[in-house]
Amino acid sequence: MNEDISLESVLKANQRETDERSLIEAAQKDPARFADLYENNFERVYAFVVSRVRHREEAEDLTADVFHQALASIGRFEWRGVPFAAWLLRIAANAVADHWQRTPREHGNPVQNEPYVSWEEVEYRARLFRLVDTLLEDQRAVVIKRFVEQKSISEVAREIQKTEGAVKQLQLRALRNLRARIGETHG
Amino acid sequence: MGKRSLVDQLNQAVEAMLARREAVVPPIDPNLEPLLSIAAELRNLPSQKFKQRLRKELQERRNVMQTSEKSKTEVLQSVTPYLCVNEAGELIDFTKVAFGAKELFRTIGSAGGIHAEVRIGDSKIMIGGGGAWRGTPTPTALHFFVEDTDAIYQRALEAGATSIAEPSDQPYGERVCGVTDPAGNQWYIARSLEGPYVPEGLRNVNLYFHPINASQFIDFLSRAFGSVEVARYAAPDGTVAHAKVRIGDSVIEMGEAHGPYQPMPTTIYLYTDNVDASYVRALQAGGVSVSEPADQPYGDRVAAVSDPFGNTWYIATHIKL
Repeated sequence: MNEDISLESVLKANQRETDERSLIEAAQKDPARFADLYENNFERVYAFVVSRVRHREEAEDLTADVFHQALASIGRFEWRGVPFAAWLLRIAANAVADHWQRTPREHGNPVQNEPYVSWEEVEYRARLFRLVDTLLEDQRAVVIKRFVEQKSISEVAREIQKTEGAVKQLQLRALRNLRARIGETHG
Repeated sequence: MGKRSLVDQLNQAVEAMLARREAVVPPIDPNLEPLLSIAAELRNLPSQKFKQRLRKELQERRNVMQTSEKSKTEVLQSVTPYLCVNEAGELIDFTKVAFGAKELFRTIGSAGGIHAEVRIGDSKIMIGGGGAWRGTPTPTALHFFVEDTDAIYQRALEAGATSIAEPSDQPYGERVCGVTDPAGNQWYIARSLEGPYVPEGLRNVNLYFHPINASQFIDFLSRAFGSVEVARYAAPDGTVAHAKVRIGDSVIEMGEAHGPYQPMPTTIYLYTDNVDASYVRALQAGGVSVSEPADQPYGDRVAAVSDPFGNTWYIATHIKL
């Protein structure tokens, strides 16, 4: 299991830890610096929350709650060598639990009983979400309109002024690129 | 599958998946399966509009926190009057014009109304409310020490206040008058006739209560907030004509309700060293919980308690940001 732990990977991990620690200390002294922590962790928190709720609106409300709570409490965050993201996900787990407690039982709650999402899954999804930003503009537009806005091929074609065939091609290329890039960083 | 192109096969599978999360996906070329698994994850892709909106919200919240921090370093005081009124904006303007107040900051509070802080001389006052706010107004009585009672009285009237009493010398050693501001707060504008114009131990602006059974109110303040009695003068009928109690670095004044001076349920922002302990103590003294201690994004941990005399106390401890 430890075979792939090279000196380089250890040094990289140490550097990441130092960078994150300095970001946290900066945010504790000056709340304006919280922006860096937000940018680095938004996709992680969202990826965690969205896997535990049923609707996009719920995921957005809870993600907003998590960052508002984190901003309010950043002064009391104590560095113990645990990644900042783990602290955020603990806030997120509590927020999700509170959310389900407030949700009337008669509506059923299938998501709550799903296996707990693992750290690796959260990282994988967060990385995938961030990779969408690296796509070419027209591929990115198709991904957002198709998967976030859930628009049909014809609607997307109309909006970006391309043929339906071209939109389908862009969809295929976007997914291929994402698959290749997540593969590069994931295994 | 026949002649269906990869592009169409993938799109049909995506269509089925988007139409219903658990939909049966039509059979596809095995090479497309990894792409479909990426597509399944992308159904949860966060909206960029949401990410930007939340970024902006957090930025605004940070601005409030920073402004709040700044104002806290300007004037620190244990007891701050919190004037909650419908005419919050007008009241801020009135205090500026009539009393030379300096606005420290203004924001929109959690209940949708204005939250502002102003400084008058050495004293901080919070002003909350406004048109969008749906709370119960709590205009307040204040003992306001100034260098020139007559001049400030005149300025207050010109700024829209109404007179309660014209300036006159009182046997207890003050030249004093009274006005009601446009939001309903009563200001007893005074200067001490001996020594400095602000009597020792008081601020420019001090809370003044007219409780029914002031001695019980003094007792409550002592048990709930550890106040210390500074002075007490009895009226001929045995009630409290005038009393002062100290909480932290601030003094609260009061006199038994009489004539036109009847109880005005008031809102107070009180800093203590330990909000959780103060909250428990206030409840044990007979207070009723309005909200339990909780961290607030503006850097305070805050609880709220209503006392048996109708006043609401926001008890706070400043927490490090």
